[in-house]
Amino acid sequence: MNDIFVAPKHKEKMPENSEHVGILSNFSKNPNGIHFQTQKHNEKIILFLRSHFITNISWIALSLILIILPIIILTFLPTFGIDFLSSQSTTRFTTVYTLFYYLMVFSYVFISFLHWFYNVFIVSSERVVDIDYSDIVVHNIAVTNLSHIEDVNYTQSGFIPTFFNYGDLFVQTAGNERNFEALSIPKPREAAHIIGDLIGK
Amino acid sequence: MDFNSINFVNPVFWIKIITLIVILFYVVFTFVVFTQVKVMTQILHLPHGETTLKTISIIHIILAISLFVIAIVIL
Repeated sequence: MNDIFVAPKHKEKMPENSEHVGILSNFSKNPNGIHFQTQKHNEKIILFLRSHFITNISWIALSLILIILPIIILTFLPTFGIDFLSSQSTTRFTTVYTLFYYLMVFSYVFISFLHWFYNVFIVSSERVVDIDYSDIVVHNIAVTNLSHIEDVNYTQSGFIPTFFNYGDLFVQTAGNERNFEALSIPKPREAAHIIGDLIGK
Repeated sequence: MDFNSINFVNPVFWIKIITLIVILFYVVFTFVVFTQVKVMTQILHLPHGETTLKTISIIHIILAISLFVIAIVIL
């Protein structure tokens, strides 16, 4: 007997208005594919924040200077009559130290990127999670329930933050719990509004 | 290895030893970086970047070990 009605196979539904999160994303509403370690099964991530990419300019500029610095030094040394590459022994030492120098520059770039990449602020349907990756051997994770949040405010001051629309977001909690801050995040006004709506303010 | 041929008074010998020790510490540091990346990927799952960051940190370890070997060979 033929079936009268065959239900179509359901594809896994993505939440409405969900955003794709790229490697350089710094403001995502309802992001796809992000999970944190203590996330509950029915807990949904509403907002994913990271510092604005423009805040990386200082270490990127410094890295570029550090990359070209040995080239400049080696180019101008003969001008000052310094020639330490003439003997075989010093050439060997210079080679090792130059390679070591560039490896350390690589480390600096990598760690600076990790510092930006893993400093995130997450607002879920139940709580706020602040992941601070302040140093290569220090990371700090703070969590508070939305019900413990008393106030949300933001500051946006200065020419560059106003031009690129980024600022600091502060979440104040009740009692002795620590306050949360997300520094240099894009669209701080919108983020404050979203958290304010969640806590009913 | 003929230890009698090593001149312990020669400052170049001690510069070599100090250089090797510093690079060895750097190798240890690259392992710390890799461990931190691994811990952070467990704490926070992000759709992009995890594999890339792990790969970069492994390349970082390989480069540091290679530098240590190069330093032993050419210094």
